[in-house]
Amino acid sequence: MKVRFRIRRFDPLHQAEPYWQAYSVEVKEGMTVLEALLKISEDDDPTLSFRRSCRSAICGSCAMTINGFPRLACSTQVLPQYRKKGEMTVEPLSNHQVIKDLAVDMTPFWNRMEKVSPYLAPKEEPKDGWVIRKEDAAAIDSAQKCIMCGSCNAVCDSLEADPNFIGPAASVKAWRLVGDVREGMKKKRLERLSEGHGVWDCVRCVHCTEYCPKDVRPLEAIERLRAKAIEKKVVDNHGAKHTLALVDSVKRVGRLDEAAMTFKTLGFLRSLGMIPLGLKMEMHGKLPHLIIFPAIDGIKEVRKIYSAVERRKKKKE
Amino acid sequence: MVIHDVVVVGAGLAGMRAAIEAARAGLNVAAVSKVHPVRSHSVAAQGGINAAIKEADSWEDHAFDTVKGSDYLGDQDAIEVLCREAPSDIMELERMGAVFSRDDAGRIAQRPFGGADYPRTCYLADRTGHGLVHLLYEQLIKHGVYLYDEWHVVSLVTHDNSVRGVIALELTTGKLHRLHSRAVIIATGGYGRVFNTSTNAITSTGDGMALALRAGAPLMDMEFVQFHPTTLKRTGILMTEGARGEGGYLINSAGERFMKAYAPSKLELASRDVVSRAEQKEIDAGRGVDGCVLLDMRHLGKDRIAERLPQIRDLAINFAGVDPVIAPVPIKPGAHYSMGGIMTDVDGKTPVEGLFAAGECACVSVHGANRLGGNSLLETIVFGRRAGKAAAGSCIKGRGLRDFPDPALADAASAIASILNRTEGESAHRLIAGAREAMEEHCWIFRTREGLEGGLKKIRKLRERYGRVALTDRSDCFNTELLTALEAGYILEISEAMLMGALARTESRGSHFRLDFPARNDKEWLRHTLVYREGKGCRMDYKDVRITRFTPAERKY
Amino acid sequence: MAVLRYAYYPGCASQEITKEANETTRKVAAALAVELHDMPGANCCGAGLLTDCDYELSLALNARILAQAEQMGMDIMTICSTCLMVMSAANRDLKNDRKLLDRINGILGEAGLEYRGTVRVRQLLWVLVEDYGLKGLKKAVARPLDWLKVAPFYGCHSLRPSSALGFDDPEMPHSLEDTIKALGAEAVAYAGKTRCCGFQVDLVAPETAVGMTASRLIDAKAKGAACVVTPCPFCHINLDNYQGMAEKKVGRKIDLPVFHLAQLVGLAMGMKPEELGLSRHMVSPERIVR
Repeated sequence: MKVRFRIRRFDPLHQAEPYWQAYSVEVKEGMTVLEALLKISEDDDPTLSFRRSCRSAICGSCAMTINGFPRLACSTQVLPQYRKKGEMTVEPLSNHQVIKDLAVDMTPFWNRMEKVSPYLAPKEEPKDGWVIRKEDAAAIDSAQKCIMCGSCNAVCDSLEADPNFIGPAASVKAWRLVGDVREGMKKKRLERLSEGHGVWDCVRCVHCTEYCPKDVRPLEAIERLRAKAIEKKVVDNHGAKHTLALVDSVKRVGRLDEAAMTFKTLGFLRSLGMIPLGLKMEMHGKLPHLIIFPAIDGIKEVRKIYSAVERRKKKKE
Repeated sequence: MVIHDVVVVGAGLAGMRAAIEAARAGLNVAAVSKVHPVRSHSVAAQGGINAAIKEADSWEDHAFDTVKGSDYLGDQDAIEVLCREAPSDIMELERMGAVFSRDDAGRIAQRPFGGADYPRTCYLADRTGHGLVHLLYEQLIKHGVYLYDEWHVVSLVTHDNSVRGVIALELTTGKLHRLHSRAVIIATGGYGRVFNTSTNAITSTGDGMALALRAGAPLMDMEFVQFHPTTLKRTGILMTEGARGEGGYLINSAGERFMKAYAPSKLELASRDVVSRAEQKEIDAGRGVDGCVLLDMRHLGKDRIAERLPQIRDLAINFAGVDPVIAPVPIKPGAHYSMGGIMTDVDGKTPVEGLFAAGECACVSVHGANRLGGNSLLETIVFGRRAGKAAAGSCIKGRGLRDFPDPALADAASAIASILNRTEGESAHRLIAGAREAMEEHCWIFRTREGLEGGLKKIRKLRERYGRVALTDRSDCFNTELLTALEAGYILEISEAMLMGALARTESRGSHFRLDFPARNDKEWLRHTLVYREGKGCRMDYKDVRITRFTPAERKY
Repeated sequence: MAVLRYAYYPGCASQEITKEANETTRKVAAALAVELHDMPGANCCGAGLLTDCDYELSLALNARILAQAEQMGMDIMTICSTCLMVMSAANRDLKNDRKLLDRINGILGEAGLEYRGTVRVRQLLWVLVEDYGLKGLKKAVARPLDWLKVAPFYGCHSLRPSSALGFDDPEMPHSLEDTIKALGAEAVAYAGKTRCCGFQVDLVAPETAVGMTASRLIDAKAKGAACVVTPCPFCHINLDNYQGMAEKKVGRKIDLPVFHLAQLVGLAMGMKPEELGLSRHMVSPERIVR
């Protein structure tokens, strides 16, 4: 069956604007987008630039925007996409500069990776070698599946808004290290990751987890880093304070006490900065009760759960 | 001009391991690669890495299995090095941060692999190569190795049989750069893409071997190509040997485990050449299923497949539309590994002074006529390290920076310009397609003199036509067609060397099977074939196999 | 049609800051004869922040909510996308992993509770589209909003992760558009509808948050929207409460009113603006509802 591909092309050195070019490709059942692109470049238009290597979803070369979202060209079949969306559009990854056509500049991606000092800094090794229990290995197993294709960074809403954000991919690498039982610099790493533009800046848009082609679940890595930071008492930052304020609020009253959370997150002085907005909100009846915030009916049960979890954690240690 | 002490060409496992070792010696090291390191083909290795790390195992047993697997063509002194140093290299990888799959006691687990008498394959689920590539990339950063990724080396610069550096094309700008160095290590991987049906990445075009051949180094045992028994029907994508290691069966159209007839004791875990030939015979005898036989993993159960072979399940579902939990997967033999390569000693040294090679592009030779599963990753680590150390050692011992010959850059530039400026001529894609067709027809699992001669004729014709290769894309930014044209040149030269080796070797050994000479002939052929470049053609030479402790015997599985 | 009844979980935000969403939902449900049963004593889902501190605690507290609904013999309906996502993700994990469920039940047991894994978590939008049906909703429309161009804003947590939610197509969602059309209004197409409003980092990275808020609103407005509708109170807080800050950041007026889903439904059913709590909005929708 003939399928029309619309491909966004761009040569920034010689062209002012990207443009769309259409190609018609004879597609068979099971054919992947990468096979179609290779066909185009071999039979039709050798000037089309795109990266490719392994063809089996492990080298991470061919992530691109296919029908609006990042996917690996090599593991995306044409016909299911075509049937679903009624067309085939292929564009370079978002959140990245185009080098040419579908090839984007990955330099910022690698730079972010280098920023997290991406190598194990091991503790002293036991005399008879490391024992890594299966559950210890399992904790970083999904992070180890990352192929650095850049799909997660390409759909990350935080990264789009703040190019200095560490991003999901480097966070995965950071968790792969912080979650390793042999790592000796956990706290240091967590301190750095908790600074501005670090893991607390993730907006939890869940795009990374939704579009990771290897089920790495980067958001989960970010959550685990945050939890580990709190566990290691790296809490002198707005993100951790905000989280702890909620955890405390739920324990105290069973629900979210926003005034208290703002105060605890920002501290007294910065909370004052919120006063103009607060006054405006008050005029619309939107300011939360400042002083008395009644506990929910079931607060006793909630506290029992807190202490049960706490006890189990202590026992584990 | 950029100056480094050591330039490593290729940044897969062997290249990165070599670069790290040279950097550890305190040298200024650069890695140049046409793809970013984590995109290199090592990343696709699935099954594992062999090492005798358990009490009940020994490096001598590992060495024997390897020698036997090689059909006694492997050089035994090199195999001894490989197997003796394997355990400490595994431990070092773990110290760097590798998380090998564990046994119940939390120690490194091992799985059985083909041709081995002990389960000695360490693994990271079914993505061992991927785990190690990302690990070494981490170490590359840690050790401050300069990285020139997406720089394609177009020539190896030598003078008086001594290496002076390389010239590389920066893909994003089209600019040619001179990298002047005291030593060069080639680690560009194999030539699996000489064939169509191949497990190899699109990028595995034998570049480094062709460059070395042009620079005067000989290629050894090029006729030996490993055909992997389990690759997916349409795409040639690899299903790891681990699938059989974990207990998967091979069955024919009658539902029989046909390996009983070919390797009664080892069955599915006989060496790869034996299994691949058995499959091809079943298929040729009409006991196949649509040109394939079946890999049956159903009896392993969903949980075991999920734990040990998760990627395999995904690949089978995504690329063959079969869930191995529910149905057997159609598979057939496909080109997988290049046993042949640049002749080196156990330190990666080639006959060209200052030039080293390691990994699949090299031929030490530890694999001889057939490589055992789990030994290729091991080779990249052991001999990558040794080549890095030796290259660094040669610099430290006094190999200084020698003159970079003036015309080198102009020569490279004019070669590329002549391709870019040609307005009419041959398409690089067509030439590659022609070469692959010829190689699959004449240099596949079963070979004959007539076939090989016919293949050689075709390849030489294609080489002539290659002199008129022309492009549509004349841009200087990310010109992948130019890259393809360069690769076409490498593929054609490598094909010629393979055919010459295959013609010369009038016996059947390991992966090289001659229908006109079906028996192994130890009297004449305990020898390696060597191919040298001579003018536009090639010249053959031979070298005896080094035998230390294992006397050649018949190979039975 | 069988009576629709749900264990009603408005979520913390709609019990305080966005009270108007809760109050309007109750009115709309009553008018549609959908039974909402309060969950007295239900705790906060943690809004994802509990997961950031302690996954197990988060699971246990969400399991408590689910167990309560199970005891009531009903599915949960919430009007908050974040509550929906957090409870659904916990529910997915507990249902998929027997061992995990047993472990969490060990904890719940200390509070005298047990969760068997039988509850589904729903959102008002889903209830309208799937359970009640848009045909029925259309019949309930007394005053079609045919003069109104509405930008649907899904945000993140009503669509992702699809492994936990599984409603609508996360890439090409249409449930909000369908609802808007059922109410007689026109749905405006624009790029930002499934993107983040910025809420989760309002306090942590305010620049990022406000920037996101601004671009979603500007995007919608540029495509001709007269207002926005969202199924999530957190999105509402950012798009409405913080619209002024967004305007300051981009240096121009946006002035785009934002409705809670229930408000838009109520309006079409003929409820008066006063009944919908519209006066509580920071960006007044008054001029477009008259």
